[in-house]
Amino acid sequence: MPSPGFRLTASGGAGDRVVELAGVVTLADGARLWRELRDAVAATETARIDLAGVERLDGGGAALLYAVRDERVGRGRVCELAGATGDVARVLELYGGPPQPEPASPPRPHALLADVGDFAHDLWRSWQSVLAFLGDLCWALARAVRQPRSVHFGEFGSLVERAGTDGLPIIMLINFLVGAILGLQGAIQLHRFGGDQFLASLVGLSVVRELGPLMTAILVTGRSGAAFAAELGTMKVNEEIDALRTLGQDPQRFLVLPRVLVLVLVVPVLTVVGDFLGTLGGMAIAVGYLQQPAVVYVQMFELWVDLLDVGTGLMKSVVFGAAIALVACQRGLAARGGAEGVGRSTTAAVVAVLFTLVALDAAFTWIFSLLDW
Amino acid sequence: MTAVLEVRDLTIGHGGVPLLSGIGFDVARGEVVAVLGGSGCGKSTLLRTLIGLQEPLAGSVHFPGIGGPEQAMSPPQFGVLFQSAALFGSWTLLQNVMLPLQKWTRLPKDAARAVAMARLRLVGLEAAADKLPSEVSGGMRKRAGIARALALDPPILFLDEPSAGLDPVTAAGLDQLILTLARGLSVTIVLVTHELPSILAVADRCVMLDRQAGGVIALGAPRDLATHSDDARVRAFFRREAASRTT
Repeated sequence: MPSPGFRLTASGGAGDRVVELAGVVTLADGARLWRELRDAVAATETARIDLAGVERLDGGGAALLYAVRDERVGRGRVCELAGATGDVARVLELYGGPPQPEPASPPRPHALLADVGDFAHDLWRSWQSVLAFLGDLCWALARAVRQPRSVHFGEFGSLVERAGTDGLPIIMLINFLVGAILGLQGAIQLHRFGGDQFLASLVGLSVVRELGPLMTAILVTGRSGAAFAAELGTMKVNEEIDALRTLGQDPQRFLVLPRVLVLVLVVPVLTVVGDFLGTLGGMAIAVGYLQQPAVVYVQMFELWVDLLDVGTGLMKSVVFGAAIALVACQRGLAARGGAEGVGRSTTAAVVAVLFTLVALDAAFTWIFSLLDW
Repeated sequence: MTAVLEVRDLTIGHGGVPLLSGIGFDVARGEVVAVLGGSGCGKSTLLRTLIGLQEPLAGSVHFPGIGGPEQAMSPPQFGVLFQSAALFGSWTLLQNVMLPLQKWTRLPKDAARAVAMARLRLVGLEAAADKLPSEVSGGMRKRAGIARALALDPPILFLDEPSAGLDPVTAAGLDQLILTLARGLSVTIVLVTHELPSILAVADRCVMLDRQAGGVIALGAPRDLATHSDDARVRAFFRREAASRTT
């Protein structure tokens, strides 16, 4: 319904001005009221806003009148609202009453030193919570070994399906493409030097030792790691974790251990599939681009890639699986606040897992090189 | 008294299955009407139907001069406080209250901020304006929800269990706020509750629903219903609620 609106007339000079408001003063006309009233009282020493002619005033209108008055007073000028009667006075009184006190924390200084201190404190707290989480997990693991039935295996099957079977197509596709890309780049270089037959060793070793486990772990992080963090984060902010504790269930054994076990089992299997598809991607390039018979590629692969190479990749994948589940669950259980907190913890989980994977991969590569594996 | 909400022969339910039928009542301007009944009797479903979040199976909801809930929703002619307050968790209380003002008015940002602060001041939350919903108590979230519902000065407020889960002192404060809005600003209020102290403190009339009867079993002033109702279920409801309050 269109608002009947208000009328505004100003009289007097810059020193002392009277602004008369009449008609209906509501939020519907708020933008015009804000503009015209501020213009009318601008550049005056003393302004009196006369509301005697106002027939109706709503809360939004009252809020704007007070905002204009407070703005003038804040600049050291005199401005008053006057002449209101009846319902108009009542609304004005409701919105202009003394603010009810609320406990407010004192404002904190935004000094650089304080920010650095906050950061260091947050970092320390974060490490403390990680250590506490790992401690709890070790304790839970010890108790689980003594009482295997205390681990919640109820959702084990569905977790395996979600983390493993459901992720299989994308893991196969990505690993095949990575093998093909690596194969193509390698083939171009090797062909220049007449080393076509070494493509199988280049792709095979790269995929089996490094890229297969790493790419598979990265994909599992994006799918299952993020899902674990979001799932546990939502449970945390909905107080479901607290509810578990009150029911005598240990969240570590009920939620974390099953997820760790699932990824420890599933990631190596996915890695084997990924290794196979990555090698196939390389073979597709050998056959399609280098016109190399497939049997030559297979023979060269067998010659250069031994079980130890596959084994090192699988060792990595076991540790990667555990790392993904642990970091994602830890971040999820550290979620605070509402939906935003869950979003933050999920993002933090993915970033932390990716960093952990790369760091672990570097460490493994260094250790394997020391052992001459 | 002019009716601002007319409910006629309404049937509500889920998935085509009727839950309650034959619901009919009017709400006058400035009136506080409490919809009450036992748990699971369809109070919240009725509220969702009144505000257009759920289609009625039959009958009509009409806002005179405006139309049905769909017409009344854009721009909003009513404000709603959901049971959980439903504040946006990543926004401060002030940002939550400013949202409808920025969407539906052409106020510049500083004016919208001033209006939103006035709403927060009205509900006693001016000092907490920059806090996130997760940083304030349940009662404060409810009050912030009311401030957001009031942002556009709607003539009608729908409140779903405003005092549920709050301590008696906070609940009494909310009741006082509801009375202030109704008596001071002539806001029409429809509230869903089964909190007897709130009903007795603020409601002018009650609409009592009963799942077994399949509709409205009583309509009238709360004290009349509590003492003079012919329906034993109504008297029992008030007795039970009163007893649960004293134990």
